[in-house]
Amino acid sequence: MSDKPIHRVRGVDHTAFPTFDPAGTVRFYRDVLKFPVVHSICAAGWGPEKHPDFIHFFFDIGNDDRIAFFYYFGLKPIGDPDAPGDSWARLPQGTPKFFVNSRHLAIHVDDEEDLLEYRRRLDESAWPVEMQVMHETIESIYTHDPNGYMIEITRALRPVTPQEDLDAELTVQALCEVAGDQEPSMDKLLTRKAELIVERAAAWEQSIAKELVQS
Amino acid sequence: MSRMYVLEVPENEGVVKVAGMDPAITIDKVGPYFRLSCDDDIVIDRRATGCRHAVWYSAVAGLEHSTIVQHDKDQLRVVAR
Repeated sequence: MSDKPIHRVRGVDHTAFPTFDPAGTVRFYRDVLKFPVVHSICAAGWGPEKHPDFIHFFFDIGNDDRIAFFYYFGLKPIGDPDAPGDSWARLPQGTPKFFVNSRHLAIHVDDEEDLLEYRRRLDESAWPVEMQVMHETIESIYTHDPNGYMIEITRALRPVTPQEDLDAELTVQALCEVAGDQEPSMDKLLTRKAELIVERAAAWEQSIAKELVQS
Repeated sequence: MSRMYVLEVPENEGVVKVAGMDPAITIDKVGPYFRLSCDDDIVIDRRATGCRHAVWYSAVAGLEHSTIVQHDKDQLRVVAR
């Protein structure tokens, strides 16, 4: 039996997106944000299907994690470039903005000084910050890269507390149960979550207290 | 009786404090949650809590035999089902 922990993954190796504008992409990530170029692959088309030649290139986003792009020679943008969305997917006209922006990449920084430094870099570029928001426990800036992908840079205002992990667990449990309902709603979720709080929250606190005493 | 839960985190302090000023609302703890109970409706004025909107709209953790009839920039009103 392995004595390794259940949860063994170590963060993002890379997340990958297609681009039709490699020069703009490099300007944005390398020249504006100053993310180092750390890896690239020049590949002739391969595989059983007709696959174009392509360049796969990577930028360091800190912590040895990477954002990567594919540029395919000869491939024209897919879908109506004036439609909402990004280089990977164009959505029907009239798609609500919150939905379009729901898929995004958030990169974290240590503190306010660093957040404001990235704000400065973006504001001096062709891709200025579109929004700076203080949420409950984080502060974030947002913009869209040359491909239309929404990028968030964020800092934590305080560490996440253990009770927030419990709360997240109960929310997700309630969500899984309620999402199967004919008409899922927030009202149903909060009702189920109250039951889970009664069932589990007091016992959770006792177990945390016990752990503290033992340590 | 109307009854709701609020997680104990610094951002929610204002909500619990304002609820505590209403003598009709009883507050006790269930694990790391505050349980707010009231024979009548639970009504909390947002401005009095000092909550910004992101906190305000995510402050309710659970509803026990109760439902939200108002949750806007002015107030939260939780009533018995």
